[in-house]
Amino acid sequence: MKRWFARRRWWLLRVAALPVHLAVFALVVFFLVRAIPGDPVLTVTGGQIDPSRYEEVRTALGLGGTIWDQLGRYAANLARLDLGSSLLSGRTVLEEFASRLPATLELVTISLVLTLLVSTALGLLVLLRPRNVVSRVVSAYSRTAGGVPDFCLGVLFIFVFYASLQWAPAPLGRLDPGMTAPPAVTGFPLVDALAGGRPDAFVSMLAHLTLPVLVLVVAQSAIFVRLLAAALTDALDSQPTRFMIASGAGRRAVVWSILRRALPPMVTMAGVIYGYMLGGAVVLESLFGLGGIGQYAVDAVNSADLPALQGFLLVIAALTLVVFLVVDLVVMILDPRRRSGRTEVSA
Amino acid sequence: MSVPTAVVVASPRPRRAIRSETTRWLLAVPAAVVVLVAIVGPALAPYDPTRVIGPPGREPFGRYALGTDSAGLDVLSRVLVATRTNLLIALAVVLAATLVGLVLGAAIGMNESRRGPLGTLARAVNRFVDLFTAVPAVIVGLVAVAFFGGTVTVLVVVIAVVLAPIQVRLVRTEVLRVRGEAYLEAARMAGFSELRLTVRHVLPNSWGAVSENMPVIFGMAVVLTAALGFIGVGLPRPTPEWGSMISLGASDAATGRWWAAAFPALALIVTVAAASALGTALRARRA
Repeated sequence: MKRWFARRRWWLLRVAALPVHLAVFALVVFFLVRAIPGDPVLTVTGGQIDPSRYEEVRTALGLGGTIWDQLGRYAANLARLDLGSSLLSGRTVLEEFASRLPATLELVTISLVLTLLVSTALGLLVLLRPRNVVSRVVSAYSRTAGGVPDFCLGVLFIFVFYASLQWAPAPLGRLDPGMTAPPAVTGFPLVDALAGGRPDAFVSMLAHLTLPVLVLVVAQSAIFVRLLAAALTDALDSQPTRFMIASGAGRRAVVWSILRRALPPMVTMAGVIYGYMLGGAVVLESLFGLGGIGQYAVDAVNSADLPALQGFLLVIAALTLVVFLVVDLVVMILDPRRRSGRTEVSA
Repeated sequence: MSVPTAVVVASPRPRRAIRSETTRWLLAVPAAVVVLVAIVGPALAPYDPTRVIGPPGREPFGRYALGTDSAGLDVLSRVLVATRTNLLIALAVVLAATLVGLVLGAAIGMNESRRGPLGTLARAVNRFVDLFTAVPAVIVGLVAVAFFGGTVTVLVVVIAVVLAPIQVRLVRTEVLRVRGEAYLEAARMAGFSELRLTVRHVLPNSWGAVSENMPVIFGMAVVLTAALGFIGVGLPRPTPEWGSMISLGASDAATGRWWAAAFPALALIVTVAAASALGTALRARRA
């Protein structure tokens, strides 16, 4: 038994770290809300509140009693996954997010998969054919990484592909006007359209998703290709590669081994890009009217819906921490050298 | 939790070493131009940037040099005035984030391998900083600015807090590198206190990498400020600010009137590129 634990020590520690990280984040959010200047009740209600309802709203915000009472209730509520109720709709924050999160995840996941495919192909091209015209364009673009923000690209694409060329549908929602949404089964719009037997809605959704996905792919590929080129160059310029070439391995085998050795840093990067894309989705959902959690959060800002914003931060934090956990575990499987209990290995 | 620092920190060596002195000075020219615009721009603005001065949606290059937006405000005046706002916010963010980075990074780097409570605290803070970088910056910014209100001070503090971890990690890495040098050991044996070691020897020798990363932080601060303005949590309208201008211009762009969004976006991109070129010039100085 003891040996069983000893052998799996790293894995157990890494998984056990997740609830600790979540708790730290929840604590930060707790104090962030308490640091809001002035009276949050007045902020939320815009100063127009019936004095008889004052205490009610105050309790709804979790601000009744001493700070220790508040912290205790906050922890107890979180343990029951109770994030409070939205002040605007009255529904629980968890329900609001559960119905909207799949739409955001769909956008981000499609973009991530496409980014990985496109960037890997381009990264290899830059590595193997550096003098190719495409390679030159790609490496020039990738050096601007992050220089052209995603929202600028979004506006540019709307102007070019919608306003000028009329190739893309209007950036106003997920469906053509007049079309009814298919019944929500899984919450993922594309899946629901297929499951509900609505190929017309499916095609319309794809058309509406094309521009935002294109924006995310173009914006994030710059960063990813740049990182990938660095990882591939490292793998190319290493002892094992020299040994392989020296012992007469074929070009194909060498390229495969380079890819294999660049895989762990690639997985780490994919996790980082996932985080960037979540941030990008928040900005783009409002621009294209896609109605995921990003647009919900932006709307919550305008209506000063405090519980919704607090829940938004917690949901995003949980999501990114889980993604990083998965990334770390996958990297451990791919590269056993990183398991030896060291917490940090330079990528 | 191992976010590769390569994502956020400038690559240590430029692709091609820039040898000529002239090239290095030329790289700093765009940044100088942008700063000049920020200084004299508002004085050159032909109209009041917050007042309706003409019919909405007027084309550029006519009576209004860069056209008017959907509310009838002069785009040129607004871009010029916004340049100062956006640059000042980013400048304050860079200074604050670097200061936090130096203090926290040195404190962590000098203490983390210690036994006892101080070492444990340093390691805990280090983990916390790492953890903090996991959540996308735009999202933390969105919620924090919504909580504390869209003023310049809040924007600076929030964006500085979001970007400071990058400088903290960089300083820590540098401190760990310098800590192993022989001259530090010599100074320690000469009986200097740890604080004096840090201030006189460790930080000056870490400064190179940190200062070279400042333009990178500047670029990120500019983009983040504009992103927050774009989603509507930045400075209240109609304060001229690139992000909110692009956001207002987006609906114009959907109807084919590109100028209200294009010019602030161009100003933003040129500024980020200028900062990036300045960073390249700074790194080339050492190479």
